[in-house]
Amino acid sequence: MQRNTRRVLSRAGTLVVTLGLMSGSAAVAQDKPTSENPSNIPPSRVIAGRPLHSPPKMNAADARKSVNAFITWAGESVVEEQSTARRALASAAKQPELVQAFMEEILAAHESGDTSRALVGLGLLGEMRTYDGAKFLVEFVRKPLPTKGTVIEGELQEEAQQARLQAKAIAGVAYLRNEEFDREVAYQAGNHPSVIVRAEAISAYLWNRGDSLEARKALEPFVRKEERLYLDRVRRVTGEGADAFNRKLTAYLKAHPEVQAPDPVRKDPRPPEEKPNTFDETPPKF
Amino acid sequence: MNLKQGIALMSSVLAFGLATEAGAVCTQTAASQADRDLWNTHGCWQDFFLWQYKAYGLRSGDWSNRGWNAACNVNLEFPKHWNASYLLTYGMEDDWNQSFHGTEDYRATAEARSSNFHDSLYHSITDRTDVFGTFTPRFWPWDTDRVETACPLYNPNVSNSNPGSRAGDYMHEGWHAYFDKYNFDNGNTGGHRPGPQGACTINGCDYFYFHGISKYPFGAMWENNGTASKFHSPNQVQVEFLCDVADQSHWWIPLSVRQTAASDANARAASRFINGPGYTCGSPRPW
Repeated sequence: MQRNTRRVLSRAGTLVVTLGLMSGSAAVAQDKPTSENPSNIPPSRVIAGRPLHSPPKMNAADARKSVNAFITWAGESVVEEQSTARRALASAAKQPELVQAFMEEILAAHESGDTSRALVGLGLLGEMRTYDGAKFLVEFVRKPLPTKGTVIEGELQEEAQQARLQAKAIAGVAYLRNEEFDREVAYQAGNHPSVIVRAEAISAYLWNRGDSLEARKALEPFVRKEERLYLDRVRRVTGEGADAFNRKLTAYLKAHPEVQAPDPVRKDPRPPEEKPNTFDETPPKF
Repeated sequence: MNLKQGIALMSSVLAFGLATEAGAVCTQTAASQADRDLWNTHGCWQDFFLWQYKAYGLRSGDWSNRGWNAACNVNLEFPKHWNASYLLTYGMEDDWNQSFHGTEDYRATAEARSSNFHDSLYHSITDRTDVFGTFTPRFWPWDTDRVETACPLYNPNVSNSNPGSRAGDYMHEGWHAYFDKYNFDNGNTGGHRPGPQGACTINGCDYFYFHGISKYPFGAMWENNGTASKFHSPNQVQVEFLCDVADQSHWWIPLSVRQTAASDANARAASRFINGPGYTCGSPRPW
């Protein structure tokens, strides 16, 4: 009995050592990644070589193709070029063929699954502030959310993906600042099935009215009781300094003490690591 | 079967398992516009990817058939992985008066090196489709913690397949490593609290530990006092990083990257916090 126990322990020990060595051997296998056509030019030079403020022209005669090129340019453009894009969009808004082409390109990007491209397209269409464009955005927001697909952490990805796009679309509807479309934004603020869209509808409605007290009062009856917190939610935007942001946050936390999180929970400590990685090479110069 | 035969069989089975994993790949047909737009700012910069694979502890065996030997093909996983690292290494503006945290915080959270942020870790990849990423603490005392990113961060038809969301996941998983280093228990649902509960609509929920801007010196995001007054959760670190990409990145970061980061941040902020929502980021102006 005792000899059997020793034999079992010995075999188990050997197996553990073997598995450990296998794990270790996988860890030491290192060779460099390679590529056929890498660049040796630092990005600072690549970026400096890109001409700014040169969007492709949009023309009604070749609407789909030119809008497609414009969306590609806009995605790659930088903040400094936003005003250039806005001027081009204001001009394109006068041509129904181009507005229509934006809608078709958005649907094509959505169908291809490229959310980043569809977001860019939706943003551009919203910025155009046309009646037809806003009608399309409303229809887009009203599309039923998918009910089948891949679940990640309890969230249906196809549903979340569409909700993100619908959130961008509702921001475009609110940007029109038209009474008829505002009613839609207020409706969606309380009734859209996704909290992602409801939250954006609330934020966009308020922002487009200067975050005024009147706007808050007008929207409040539409917002779900348990989501009234969203009316006071803190928004951080580009260029906002610490003082302004922190003032808003302090007021929010004072008005809503219920958002205070409980203290974190401790667990048993684990043994210190035996072989810390100390790699501290500086990244290559940009 | 004797012991030697048993070990040989076990080794073969494990080796086959490893080979199968290395041979499988996520969808490699394309890259999202945001990935391509960021890529065009460096055009496949060799000096960086030769630094990145060491800084992130990548192992060639994990990344074979995933671009390890085709590091300039942005349709593949390794190029997408280092494209996201490039964003967080160089892309942040680090304005003390405006950013939630600085590059040194985000780098230390993502990279392999042992630090105040976490013990040593390495980045691997999995073909799972039911997660964005995972964190696995070391089992053997001499081994290292592992961060795995999964297909939804690489498949071009999934909304999180973009550099901001991918780097955001490095924050999230890196913060699970932080919890392990400092012995915090964030719950048993994949390292989160079960859900839905409170304002959280999914099944892995966190708390948001609100803090102002300029409250953490750059490099001090790891600091905590063991209470809610100075603490971060994994989803919160991810949201704050995505907000900084959306609103506080360098002028040359493409708008497609900023907009997808804002979209991801706002979706997470609205759906993943028990005491939510977290902050909203980015301007509601469409363009």
